Amino acid sequence: MHRFLLRIEPIVWLLFGQGVLIGTILLTSWVLVVGMLEPLGLVPADALAYERALRLGAHPIGRLVLLALIALPLWKGAHHLRHLAIEFGGHARDAVVAPVLYGLAALGSLAGLFAIIRL
Amino acid sequence: MGEQKKTFVVTRFDPDRDDAPTTREYEIAVQPDWKTLDALNFIKDHVDGTLAYRWSCRMAVCGSCGMMVNGEPRLTCKDVLSQYGDTVHIAPLANFPVVRDLVIEFDGFMEKFERVKPWILRAKEKAVEEGTHRQSPEQLADFQHFSMCINCMLCYAACPVVSNEPAFLGPAAIALGHRYNLDSRDEGNGARNQVFRGDGTVFSCSYANECSEVCPKKVDPAAAVNQAKIGALLDWAKGLVLPRGGPE
Ligand code: FES
Repeated sequence: MHRFLLRIEPIVWLLFGQGVLIGTILLTSWVLVVGMLEPLGLVPADALAYERALRLGAHPIGRLVLLALIALPLWKGAHHLRHLAIEFGGHARDAVVAPVLYGLAALGSLAGLFAIIRL
Repeated sequence: MGEQKKTFVVTRFDPDRDDAPTTREYEIAVQPDWKTLDALNFIKDHVDGTLAYRWSCRMAVCGSCGMMVNGEPRLTCKDVLSQYGDTVHIAPLANFPVVRDLVIEFDGFMEKFERVKPWILRAKEKAVEEGTHRQSPEQLADFQHFSMCINCMLCYAACPVVSNEPAFLGPAAIALGHRYNLDSRDEGNGARNQVFRGDGTVFSCSYANECSEVCPKKVDPAAAVNQAKIGALLDWAKGLVLPRGGPE
Protein backbone atom coordinates (compact mmCIF):
# COMPACT_ATOMS: atom_id res chain seq x y z
CA MET A 1 0.00 0.00 0.00
CA HIS A 2 2.88 2.35 0.85
CA ARG A 3 4.32 1.86 -2.67
CA PHE A 4 0.93 2.38 -4.26
CA LEU A 5 0.33 5.58 -2.30
CA LEU A 6 3.74 6.88 -3.34
CA ARG A 7 2.89 6.08 -6.96
CA ILE A 8 -0.38 8.01 -6.98
CA GLU A 9 0.95 10.90 -4.90
CA PRO A 10 1.70 13.23 -7.87
CA ILE A 11 -1.83 12.99 -9.24
CA VAL A 12 -3.40 13.28 -5.80
CA TRP A 13 -1.28 16.32 -5.11
CA LEU A 14 -2.31 17.85 -8.44
CA LEU A 15 -6.00 17.36 -7.62
CA PHE A 16 -5.43 18.67 -4.10
CA GLY A 17 -3.59 21.72 -5.41
CA GLN A 18 -6.33 22.49 -7.90
CA GLY A 19 -8.83 21.89 -5.10
CA VAL A 20 -7.12 24.60 -3.09
CA LEU A 21 -6.86 26.95 -6.06
CA ILE A 22 -9.99 26.43 -8.14
CA GLY A 23 -12.17 24.36 -5.83
CA THR A 24 -12.08 26.93 -3.05
CA ILE A 25 -13.06 29.77 -5.38
CA LEU A 26 -15.88 27.78 -6.96
CA LEU A 27 -17.23 26.37 -3.72
CA THR A 28 -17.12 29.73 -1.95
CA SER A 29 -18.93 31.49 -4.77
CA TRP A 30 -21.46 28.67 -4.93
CA VAL A 31 -22.23 28.94 -1.23
CA LEU A 32 -22.32 32.72 -1.51
CA VAL A 33 -24.81 32.75 -4.39
CA VAL A 34 -27.01 29.74 -3.63
CA GLY A 35 -26.69 29.71 0.16
CA MET A 36 -26.80 33.41 0.96
CA LEU A 37 -27.58 35.85 -1.84
CA GLU A 38 -30.46 33.78 -3.22
CA PRO A 39 -32.29 33.24 0.11
CA LEU A 40 -31.77 36.92 0.97
CA GLY A 41 -33.49 37.84 -2.28
CA LEU A 42 -30.44 39.61 -3.65
CA VAL A 43 -30.48 37.55 -6.84
CA PRO A 44 -33.21 38.31 -9.39
CA ALA A 45 -36.00 35.79 -8.84
CA ASP A 46 -35.75 34.05 -12.19
CA ALA A 47 -31.95 34.09 -12.46
CA LEU A 48 -31.70 30.62 -10.97
CA ALA A 49 -34.96 29.29 -12.37
CA TYR A 50 -34.82 25.55 -13.08
CA GLU A 51 -34.84 25.71 -16.89
CA ARG A 52 -32.23 28.44 -16.99
CA ALA A 53 -29.95 26.75 -14.45
CA LEU A 54 -30.25 23.47 -16.31
CA ARG A 55 -29.28 25.07 -19.60
CA LEU A 56 -26.31 26.75 -17.91
CA GLY A 57 -25.18 23.49 -16.30
CA ALA A 58 -25.62 21.42 -19.45
CA HIS A 59 -23.46 23.69 -21.58
CA PRO A 60 -20.02 22.05 -22.11
CA ILE A 61 -18.29 24.75 -20.06
CA GLY A 62 -21.05 24.50 -17.45
CA ARG A 63 -20.45 20.76 -17.16
CA LEU A 64 -16.73 21.29 -16.70
CA VAL A 65 -17.29 23.88 -13.99
CA LEU A 66 -19.77 21.61 -12.22
CA LEU A 67 -17.32 18.70 -12.29
CA ALA A 68 -14.56 20.90 -10.88
CA LEU A 69 -16.98 22.21 -8.24
CA ILE A 70 -17.91 18.69 -7.13
CA ALA A 71 -14.64 16.78 -7.50
CA LEU A 72 -11.83 19.18 -6.61
CA PRO A 73 -13.01 20.10 -3.09
CA LEU A 74 -13.43 16.37 -2.38
CA TRP A 75 -9.76 15.73 -3.20
CA LYS A 76 -8.70 18.79 -1.28
CA GLY A 77 -10.65 17.58 1.76
CA ALA A 78 -9.41 14.00 1.49
CA HIS A 79 -5.79 15.09 1.27
CA HIS A 80 -6.14 17.56 4.15
CA LEU A 81 -7.81 14.94 6.35
CA ARG A 82 -5.13 12.40 5.52
CA HIS A 83 -2.39 14.79 6.57
CA LEU A 84 -4.36 15.72 9.67
CA ALA A 85 -4.52 12.02 10.54
CA ILE A 86 -0.76 11.71 10.01
CA GLU A 87 -0.16 14.75 12.17
CA PHE A 88 -2.18 13.31 15.02
CA GLY A 89 -1.44 9.62 14.76
CA GLY A 90 1.72 9.31 12.68
CA HIS A 91 2.05 6.92 9.79
CA ALA A 92 0.83 3.79 11.56
CA ARG A 93 -2.71 3.91 10.20
CA ASP A 94 -1.99 5.68 6.90
CA ALA A 95 -2.25 2.43 4.94
CA VAL A 96 -5.95 2.35 5.93
CA VAL A 97 -6.80 6.04 6.28
CA ALA A 98 -5.40 7.18 2.92
CA PRO A 99 -7.16 4.58 0.73
CA VAL A 100 -10.47 5.17 2.51
CA LEU A 101 -10.28 8.96 2.10
CA TYR A 102 -9.02 8.90 -1.48
CA GLY A 103 -11.54 6.16 -2.25
CA LEU A 104 -14.37 8.37 -1.01
CA ALA A 105 -13.08 11.29 -3.07
CA ALA A 106 -12.84 9.07 -6.15
CA LEU A 107 -16.34 7.69 -5.59
CA GLY A 108 -17.76 11.18 -5.11
CA SER A 109 -16.00 12.42 -8.24
CA LEU A 110 -17.33 9.48 -10.26
CA ALA A 111 -20.86 9.99 -8.95
CA GLY A 112 -20.58 13.68 -9.87
CA LEU A 113 -19.28 12.82 -13.32
CA PHE A 114 -22.13 10.37 -13.82
CA ALA A 115 -24.75 12.92 -12.80
CA ILE A 116 -23.22 15.62 -14.97
CA ILE A 117 -23.13 13.38 -18.04
CA ARG A 118 -26.85 12.73 -17.59
CA LEU A 119 -27.79 16.42 -17.36
CA MET B 1 24.57 50.27 28.52
CA GLY B 2 26.92 48.09 30.57
CA GLU B 3 26.81 44.42 31.33
CA GLN B 4 23.66 42.76 32.48
CA LYS B 5 22.93 39.52 34.32
CA LYS B 6 21.10 36.74 32.55
CA THR B 7 20.26 33.20 33.58
CA PHE B 8 20.86 30.48 31.01
CA VAL B 9 18.87 27.30 31.39
CA VAL B 10 20.90 24.83 29.39
CA THR B 11 19.92 21.27 28.51
CA ARG B 12 22.50 18.73 29.68
CA PHE B 13 22.62 15.10 28.68
CA ASP B 14 25.28 12.45 28.91
CA PRO B 15 23.97 9.20 27.43
CA ASP B 16 26.52 7.18 29.43
CA ARG B 17 25.24 8.50 32.75
CA ASP B 18 21.76 9.98 32.33
CA ASP B 19 18.46 8.31 31.46
CA ALA B 20 16.92 11.55 30.32
CA PRO B 21 18.09 15.10 29.61
CA THR B 22 18.21 17.51 32.55
CA THR B 23 18.84 21.24 32.69
CA ARG B 24 21.44 23.32 34.46
CA GLU B 25 21.22 27.00 35.22
CA TYR B 26 24.10 29.41 34.80
CA GLU B 27 23.82 33.01 35.87
CA ILE B 28 26.43 35.16 34.18
CA ALA B 29 26.99 38.79 33.26
CA VAL B 30 26.58 39.38 29.52
CA GLN B 31 27.83 42.21 27.34
CA PRO B 32 25.32 44.21 25.28
CA ASP B 33 26.82 43.13 21.96
CA TRP B 34 26.96 39.41 22.72
CA LYS B 35 25.45 36.69 20.58
CA THR B 36 23.99 33.62 22.26
CA LEU B 37 27.12 31.68 21.35
CA ASP B 38 29.28 34.19 23.22
CA ALA B 39 27.39 33.37 26.41
CA LEU B 40 27.95 29.64 25.89
CA ASN B 41 31.65 30.22 25.26
CA PHE B 42 31.86 32.27 28.44
CA ILE B 43 30.15 29.52 30.43
CA LYS B 44 32.46 26.90 28.94
CA ASP B 45 35.61 28.96 29.63
CA HIS B 46 34.79 30.31 33.06
CA VAL B 47 31.97 28.37 34.71
CA ASP B 48 31.59 24.81 33.48
CA GLY B 49 34.12 23.24 31.14
CA THR B 50 32.07 20.08 30.78
CA LEU B 51 29.38 21.71 28.62
CA ALA B 52 29.40 20.25 25.09
CA TYR B 53 28.21 22.14 21.98
CA ARG B 54 29.38 22.70 18.41
CA TRP B 55 30.65 25.85 16.80
CA SER B 56 33.44 26.86 14.51
CA CYS B 57 33.36 29.96 12.32
CA ARG B 58 31.41 32.41 14.50
CA MET B 59 30.33 34.22 11.34
CA ALA B 60 27.28 32.30 10.13
CA VAL B 61 28.97 30.29 7.40
CA CYS B 62 29.93 26.90 8.85
CA GLY B 63 26.43 26.05 10.03
CA SER B 64 27.52 24.12 13.11
CA CYS B 65 26.13 26.27 15.93
CA GLY B 66 22.39 25.67 15.49
CA MET B 67 20.43 25.22 18.73
CA MET B 68 16.97 25.80 20.14
CA VAL B 69 16.95 29.18 21.89
CA ASN B 70 13.76 29.75 23.87
CA GLY B 71 12.19 27.00 21.78
CA GLU B 72 13.12 28.43 18.37
CA PRO B 73 15.83 27.05 16.07
CA ARG B 74 18.60 29.65 15.92
CA LEU B 75 22.09 30.03 14.56
CA THR B 76 23.61 30.98 17.91
CA CYS B 77 26.59 32.90 16.49
CA LYS B 78 24.14 35.21 14.72
CA ASP B 79 21.51 35.29 17.44
CA VAL B 80 21.50 38.64 19.23
CA LEU B 81 21.28 38.02 22.95
CA SER B 82 19.79 41.37 23.89
CA GLN B 83 16.47 40.43 22.26
CA TYR B 84 15.80 38.00 25.11
CA GLY B 85 14.72 38.64 28.69
CA ASP B 86 16.52 37.69 31.89
CA THR B 87 16.17 33.96 31.30
CA VAL B 88 17.29 32.19 28.15
CA HIS B 89 16.62 28.51 27.49
CA ILE B 90 19.10 26.69 25.31
CA ALA B 91 18.47 23.15 24.08
CA PRO B 92 19.79 20.94 21.28
CA LEU B 93 18.12 21.23 17.86
CA ALA B 94 14.74 19.52 17.84
CA ASN B 95 14.04 16.46 15.65
CA PHE B 96 17.58 15.05 15.96
CA PRO B 97 19.07 12.42 18.26
CA VAL B 98 21.36 13.96 20.88
CA VAL B 99 24.98 12.88 21.23
CA ARG B 100 25.63 14.95 24.32
CA ASP B 101 24.33 18.18 25.85
CA LEU B 102 23.72 20.48 22.86
CA VAL B 103 25.44 18.28 20.29
CA ILE B 104 23.15 16.47 17.85
CA GLU B 105 23.76 13.50 15.61
CA PHE B 106 23.20 14.20 11.90
CA ASP B 107 24.00 10.96 10.06
CA GLY B 108 20.38 10.71 8.90
CA PHE B 109 20.57 14.24 7.53
CA MET B 110 23.76 13.49 5.59
CA GLU B 111 22.20 10.35 4.17
CA LYS B 112 19.27 12.42 2.84
CA PHE B 113 21.72 14.88 1.30
CA GLU B 114 23.43 12.12 -0.63
CA ARG B 115 20.15 10.73 -1.86
CA VAL B 116 19.28 13.88 -3.84
CA LYS B 117 22.59 13.64 -5.76
CA PRO B 118 23.84 17.16 -5.06
CA TRP B 119 26.36 17.32 -7.88
CA ILE B 120 26.21 17.97 -11.63
CA LEU B 121 24.95 14.90 -13.45
CA ARG B 122 25.67 14.60 -17.15
CA ALA B 123 24.55 11.98 -19.66
CA LYS B 124 28.04 12.16 -21.08
CA GLU B 125 30.98 13.94 -19.44
CA LYS B 126 32.55 16.64 -21.54
CA ALA B 127 36.19 15.97 -22.40
CA VAL B 128 38.62 18.46 -20.89
CA GLU B 129 39.65 19.72 -24.36
CA GLU B 130 36.06 20.66 -25.07
CA GLY B 131 36.29 23.35 -22.44
CA THR B 132 34.02 24.32 -19.58
CA HIS B 133 30.23 24.37 -19.27
CA ARG B 134 29.34 27.98 -19.79
CA GLN B 135 26.55 29.58 -17.81
CA SER B 136 25.07 33.05 -18.19
CA PRO B 137 24.39 35.32 -15.19
CA GLU B 138 20.67 34.81 -15.86
CA GLN B 139 21.06 31.03 -15.70
CA LEU B 140 23.02 31.39 -12.48
CA ALA B 141 20.30 33.60 -11.01
CA ASP B 142 17.78 30.77 -11.55
CA PHE B 143 19.18 28.78 -8.67
CA GLN B 144 21.74 30.91 -6.86
CA HIS B 145 19.70 31.69 -3.76
CA PHE B 146 18.94 27.96 -3.33
CA SER B 147 22.68 27.29 -3.21
CA MET B 148 23.32 29.53 -0.20
CA CYS B 149 22.49 26.79 2.32
CA ILE B 150 25.11 26.25 5.05
CA ASN B 151 23.63 22.94 6.28
CA CYS B 152 22.82 24.33 9.72
CA MET B 153 19.74 22.09 9.92
CA LEU B 154 17.55 24.73 11.56
CA CYS B 155 14.90 23.98 8.94
CA TYR B 156 14.79 20.33 10.04
CA ALA B 157 14.32 21.42 13.64
CA ALA B 158 11.48 23.74 12.59
CA CYS B 159 9.67 21.43 10.14
CA PRO B 160 6.48 19.84 11.55
CA VAL B 161 6.60 17.15 8.87
CA VAL B 162 10.16 16.11 9.77
CA SER B 163 9.11 15.78 13.41
CA ASN B 164 6.23 13.55 12.37
CA GLU B 165 7.81 11.59 9.54
CA PRO B 166 11.52 11.09 10.14
CA ALA B 167 11.84 9.59 6.63
CA PHE B 168 10.82 12.88 4.95
CA LEU B 169 13.71 14.15 2.80
CA GLY B 170 13.28 17.54 4.44
CA PRO B 171 13.71 21.18 3.40
CA ALA B 172 17.50 21.55 2.98
CA ALA B 173 18.01 18.31 1.04
CA ILE B 174 15.08 19.02 -1.31
CA ALA B 175 16.24 22.62 -1.82
CA LEU B 176 19.70 21.35 -2.71
CA GLY B 177 18.39 18.73 -5.13
CA HIS B 178 16.13 21.34 -6.69
CA ARG B 179 19.09 23.71 -7.00
CA TYR B 180 20.81 21.13 -9.25
CA ASN B 181 17.61 20.49 -11.17
CA LEU B 182 17.56 24.21 -12.00
CA ASP B 183 21.23 24.30 -13.00
CA SER B 184 21.61 24.75 -16.77
CA ARG B 185 24.72 22.51 -16.78
CA ASP B 186 22.92 19.58 -15.17
CA GLU B 187 21.05 16.73 -16.85
CA GLY B 188 20.04 14.75 -13.78
CA ASN B 189 16.44 15.94 -13.42
CA GLY B 190 14.98 12.51 -14.12
CA ALA B 191 17.07 10.75 -11.49
CA ARG B 192 16.43 13.38 -8.83
CA ASN B 193 12.72 13.54 -9.55
CA GLN B 194 12.53 9.81 -8.93
CA VAL B 195 14.12 10.40 -5.54
CA PHE B 196 11.65 13.23 -4.95
CA ARG B 197 8.75 10.85 -5.62
CA GLY B 198 10.22 7.92 -3.67
CA ASP B 199 10.47 7.24 0.07
CA GLY B 200 10.43 10.48 2.02
CA THR B 201 8.67 12.12 -0.95
CA VAL B 202 8.54 15.89 -1.45
CA PHE B 203 4.75 15.59 -1.50
CA SER B 204 4.75 14.96 2.26
CA CYS B 205 5.42 18.67 2.74
CA SER B 206 2.27 20.37 4.01
CA TYR B 207 3.60 23.87 3.33
CA ALA B 208 3.82 25.11 6.89
CA ASN B 209 6.61 27.44 5.64
CA GLU B 210 8.45 27.13 8.98
CA CYS B 211 11.70 26.22 7.19
CA SER B 212 11.81 29.52 5.35
CA GLU B 213 10.90 31.39 8.53
CA VAL B 214 13.93 30.10 10.43
CA CYS B 215 16.48 29.94 7.58
CA PRO B 216 19.38 32.24 8.57
CA LYS B 217 20.59 32.48 4.96
CA LYS B 218 17.23 33.34 3.33
CA VAL B 219 17.41 30.26 1.12
CA ASP B 220 13.60 29.96 1.13
CA PRO B 221 13.53 26.16 1.20
CA ALA B 222 9.72 26.16 1.28
CA ALA B 223 9.68 27.71 -2.20
CA ALA B 224 12.22 25.14 -3.38
CA VAL B 225 10.17 22.26 -1.98
CA ASN B 226 7.01 23.45 -3.67
CA GLN B 227 8.75 24.07 -6.98
CA ALA B 228 10.23 20.59 -6.60
CA LYS B 229 6.70 19.19 -6.25
CA ILE B 230 5.71 20.77 -9.55
CA GLY B 231 8.92 19.51 -11.16
CA ALA B 232 8.32 15.98 -9.85
CA LEU B 233 4.73 16.11 -11.08
CA LEU B 234 5.65 17.29 -14.59
CA ASP B 235 8.41 14.71 -14.78
CA TRP B 236 5.94 12.03 -13.71
CA ALA B 237 3.45 13.14 -16.40
CA LYS B 238 6.23 13.19 -18.99
CA GLY B 239 7.15 9.63 -17.98
CA LEU B 240 3.64 8.52 -18.94
CA VAL B 241 4.15 9.48 -22.58
CA LEU B 242 7.92 9.43 -23.14
CA PRO B 243 10.44 6.71 -22.32
CA ARG B 244 12.72 7.48 -19.39
CA GLY B 245 16.26 8.58 -20.08
CA GLY B 246 19.08 10.66 -18.66
CA PRO B 247 21.93 9.87 -16.28
CA GLU B 248 21.26 7.88 -13.12
S1 FES C 1 29.66 29.09 14.35
FE1 FES C 1 29.68 28.79 12.20
S2 FES C 1 27.63 29.24 11.69
FE2 FES C 1 27.69 29.70 13.78
